[in-house]
Amino acid sequence: MQEAQIKPQVVVSRIALGVLGGWAFVWGFVTLGTVLLVGAGVGYHEALNAAYLLAFLLYLTVFCWAFVTRDLPRAWLILAGGAALMTSAAWLLRDIVEVTG
Amino acid sequence: MTWLHTWFGLVLGYVLMAAFFFGSLSVFDREIDAWAIPETRFAPQVMPSYDTMLKPIFEKITPDEDGLKLARERVGGTLPDVMKPVTYSAYTTHRDPILDLYTAFDIKNPKDPHDVVFGHLTIDPRDGRVLSHDQLKIGSEFFYPMHYSLTLEWKEIGYWIVGLAALSMLVALVSGVVMHRKIFREMFTFRPKKKLRRSVLDLHNLTGVVALPFHFVFALSGLIIFAGIYFPVSETMLRPMHDKHEVIEAAELGLPHDAAGIPAKLASVDAMVAEAQRRWAARDMPGDVGFLVVSHLGDINSYVSIYRAGKDQVTQVGQGIHFAGPTGEVLHEEAAPTAVSGVMDFLTGLHLQHFEHWLLRWFYVLGGLSGCICIATGFLFFVEKRKRQHAAQGSSIVRWADALAVASVTGMVAAACAILVANRALPEGLAARGDWEKAIFWMAWLVMLGHATWRSAPVAQARISPAWREQCYAIAALAASAAVLNWTSTGDHLIKTIGAGDWAIAGVDLSLLGAAALAFYAARHLAKRERNAPAEQKTDRAQPLQEEPVHG
Repeated sequence: MQEAQIKPQVVVSRIALGVLGGWAFVWGFVTLGTVLLVGAGVGYHEALNAAYLLAFLLYLTVFCWAFVTRDLPRAWLILAGGAALMTSAAWLLRDIVEVTG
Repeated sequence: MTWLHTWFGLVLGYVLMAAFFFGSLSVFDREIDAWAIPETRFAPQVMPSYDTMLKPIFEKITPDEDGLKLARERVGGTLPDVMKPVTYSAYTTHRDPILDLYTAFDIKNPKDPHDVVFGHLTIDPRDGRVLSHDQLKIGSEFFYPMHYSLTLEWKEIGYWIVGLAALSMLVALVSGVVMHRKIFREMFTFRPKKKLRRSVLDLHNLTGVVALPFHFVFALSGLIIFAGIYFPVSETMLRPMHDKHEVIEAAELGLPHDAAGIPAKLASVDAMVAEAQRRWAARDMPGDVGFLVVSHLGDINSYVSIYRAGKDQVTQVGQGIHFAGPTGEVLHEEAAPTAVSGVMDFLTGLHLQHFEHWLLRWFYVLGGLSGCICIATGFLFFVEKRKRQHAAQGSSIVRWADALAVASVTGMVAAACAILVANRALPEGLAARGDWEKAIFWMAWLVMLGHATWRSAPVAQARISPAWREQCYAIAALAASAAVLNWTSTGDHLIKTIGAGDWAIAGVDLSLLGAAALAFYAARHLAKRERNAPAEQKTDRAQPLQEEPVHG
């Protein structure tokens, strides 16, 4: 990107996508990942820590992607949609999954 | 990627400077504490006897005012008149002369039965004397929180700002590597004699690449340590799961989850400590107690958890052994951690470095300071690259960028020296002395920012801001004064402290004098550059920069 050629609304959109969209996507990953691991018989803290260990690497990846992708609307769809899907799935499964350890 | 590197690096670089600099100082936070509170200048102590010394002191602890204020907001009204203490804890490391004691009080929050408010005291573990709260532990209570939260406690906003900066650090490292494909060569490239812009970029690349694993691991582990703040799932969405797990875990380990409501006396904690140390010795491990917790205090379900201080390991505390409070029998001895917890404990311990290895600790300081150099040279390159063009266009962006850079590089160091000067210059026994020290720190930083802004006009004409040089002189004066004031106010001069082998105090003084010398040298060097600036400009026009990669 050359400094002179960037439209302000695109910049704002990319920053919002990277910071907020990325955060929401990782939230979905952490909640769903924890719930699924607990469902697979892993202890809660063990499951949550596993999700936390990967969370920021995932955040870093999607954050960078938000700034390099050519198709910005599609990136919004994937990150916001993915966040909503994973979070809802975690919400639904949270009461079904049996906590064993 | 270049855009991302340039602008996120610039804007969050100002925050990162503080995180790296105060993080580097925090490696020696306990030593700075001892320097700042002269009555604590004695050798580190082991955990004293609970039964004879700690118990009566714990009973004197009352809830902290700040905690009470927040607790009132949480319950949305008034708190009970008498709050029952429910947990006692004491924490120490192999570098702590003094001991911190904490008591948690039940505030009877109807929304959360486990909600508590804390009170704390600091004592001299040799005789149990209580230290005044008015004395600020500048290392562990000011520089250290500055490192991870800028001491902005409101809504945890400081943690979020530093967290975003840490993420930006990771992003800057990744995008920096993508921008510079000749990464191996840059590890060995530094041409200090070349033009400023070229050597600044060399140094930026060199520190960025050589210390890349250090910077990456520290930014990442810093984020992971506070993952519970950035993604608080256990308190929100997954709370039911978390609470269910706690009950199951407590049952499995034989550690009562709740108090039974039946009062009971606590057996001898000293006997429990002796048993824990016997078990550690049997496993061939040093047996110093790092962390001691009494849960469900005064109840038949009370239990005592004793953790080993990890001075011989990266993991901070470990090998916990839990005892039944009323009987003193062992309830549970913690097994080796699982793979995931092991990695988590390792990363946390690696970042918080409470192990005993002085050379490695100094490498941490150097790693952190190399981060500061990387960020500071990033600022300089940003300004150097644009200032001629902006001067021609009449734009003031570089002027502001440079003024903020001055304030966040030299201004921050000057403010850190100022709080140490204040600490030694303010009268002993001044009420709220610690608050005065903090106020002077912020005032000093604000003055530096004002000065940097006021003096930055030459940058808009493509010259060097004199603020850099002037603030270097300020650092030299303040750092040297702090060391001298330490001598005049306590009598602990370097010959005495080095002679006595008191390296905590001597180390702080020597660092201050080293910083003063370095700042003085830098100021002299800058003065020379300012004088030669017009000549440099001419050569710049004559010789366009060679082999510079695409850069923001």
